[in-house]
Formats: sequence, C-alpha cells, structure tokens
Amino acid sequence: MSNQEKLVQAFSDALGIAQDLVQDTLEYNTIKEWDSTAHMVLISELETVFDVMLDTDDIIDMSSVAKAKSILGKYDVTF
Amino acid sequence: MTSPSEQLSLRDGSVLVTGATGGIGRAIVELLSKRGTTVFAAGRSKAALEALVESTSGHVIPLQYDVTDEKSVKEAFRSIQKQQLEPNVGMLVGLVNNAGEMKEAPLLASNMDLLKHQLNVNFLSAYQHMQLASRLMARSRHGAIVNVVSQIGEQGNAGLSAYAASKAALTGATKSLAKELAPIGIRVNAVAPGFIETELTAHYDDAQRERIFSRIALKKAGSAELVAQAIVFLLDDASNYTTGHVLPVDGLFQP
Repeated sequence: MSNQEKLVQAFSDALGIAQDLVQDTLEYNTIKEWDSTAHMVLISELETVFDVMLDTDDIIDMSSVAKAKSILGKYDVTF
Repeated sequence: MTSPSEQLSLRDGSVLVTGATGGIGRAIVELLSKRGTTVFAAGRSKAALEALVESTSGHVIPLQYDVTDEKSVKEAFRSIQKQQLEPNVGMLVGLVNNAGEMKEAPLLASNMDLLKHQLNVNFLSAYQHMQLASRLMARSRHGAIVNVVSQIGEQGNAGLSAYAASKAALTGATKSLAKELAPIGIRVNAVAPGFIETELTAHYDDAQRERIFSRIALKKAGSAELVAQAIVFLLDDASNYTTGHVLPVDGLFQP
C-alpha cells in the first residue's frame, strides 16, 4: 500500500467517512465528522500508520489533508 | 459475584506508572504486575528501577527519565509507541501520574524557583504525560488516566501553598480532561492520599504522628498498598462509569 493509500485509509478510518471524500482540499471543521474529538483520533491513527510522533505545533497546524501531507513530509514520509 | 481482578481488562494492555520507584509507585507496579498487566515503570534512578524489576514477578519495562525533561518524556512515549505493538506488551490502556515532590515553605520564603519547580514536577509534567498518553489511547478509543493529587491540594495547608497549588492545578486538569476525553473513551480520575506510611513520612516521630492522627477520623496512617488499590480500581473497567472524580484515600483527613 502506498503512503497516499495509507493516508486516505487513515483519514477514512479516523473520521468515519468514505475514502472518496478524502481529498487534499478537505479541511478541519468543515464537515461534522472532523471535529476536535475526531482530530485526536486522526492524529493517533496517522502516528501509528506512519510510525511517527508529531510535535504539538504540527498537530495544531494540521488543518487539511494537504497540510497533513506537508507536515508528514517533515518526518520523512513522502507522497 | 465477579471481583474487580476478574473483570480487569488491563491484563491485555500496558500501563505507564511515573514515580515508580517510590513507596506508592512500587505498590502500584506490584499490584498491576500481579494482575498480569505489563507495566512501563518510569523513574530517574537506574539502580532503583533495576531493583524494582528484580523484585517484581510480572512484566515490568523500566524507563529511566526525568518527568520534567520534555524531550526525555517524548522519547519515552516514542519507545512506548513502538513497544506496545509487541504481543507480549499490549497497547497502552492506562497512565498513572504518580511522580511528585512536596517542598515545604511559608509564603515569604517561597521564591519563584521553588514555585516553578513544584508546578513543573507536580503539574506540567503530568499534563505532558496526559497529552501524549491520550494520543496513544485515542486510536483504540479506550483508556484510563489516574492522577495522584493530594488532600493538601483539595483543602490547603499552611506552609504548603506552592505544593497545594500545583496539586490543585492537577485536580482542575483532571476534571476538565475527563469531560474533554470522554467522547473518545478515555476516563480521567484522581486519587488524593492523606498521611501514608512511605519513605517520605518515615522521619515523623511519635509526637508528630499523634498530632497528625488526631486530625484523621480513622486515627491511623494509610499504606501505599491501599493507595495502589484505589488507583488500580480507577484504571480497571470495574470503574468504567466513573470519570472526573477525586477519590480520597485518607481516613477522612482534615489538614
């Protein structure tokens, strides 16, 4: 499974949404499924799937799917 | 009737205990180990951690770090994040913020360094541990956090304002995070010990003890084992309808 596929799966699992909704443009708090509670589950899912531990500032900055990719890039996860 | 130990789902997971080499910490580690839980035992002293592992029959994984060192705390959680995936360890399902220090000083002699140190050890470090532990627990939407606070923090005591404030801060965080983390299945509670027989109270002479016991309804000291039992109860699924509370283990102490 590619990192892109892992990312889509992680968002889908954590937020409980269909995979086709996981687009780069999807932003935090723009759908009811991506609220502050789900965000915590999402962070946990991403950290497990990509075997990283994110800094708090990166968690605060993770405001969209595109941003998540950019931040994970700092941890040597390439897309 | 099912006993709490039979209901314990902790057996399949792991628990991080800070301040694991002190009197109450050792009792927590021993009780959890007896129940089949893998324990990540955190402490500053390598020798004390080795002695703890040696004296405990269960699966105890030592983590040597200072709870006030943010970088070391993060590294410890990175280690737990990796180790919890091993089948003989299990996912982190519990955190006990037990590490703490009590510095006694009247207001006029409490300099800012003392105040900051008390807040660092008793509150900020526990907060960082809750932040990182809840991230590990969030994926499985299950976990329990128990903070060791103090009756001094609940009721105050002359000469212990810095300590009381640091513990009261932890009580406040306990009650707030219980509400914040409930939607993802993480319970947050606290235990407030009173006068407990440990190394920290061993220096009290008979006269001092009598004065203290006169303010305890049950007229005696508690034991580390009793505090550990309360903590394990709050980690256990036997208490899965209890969150945001402070359980006193104090014989009804009035400081």
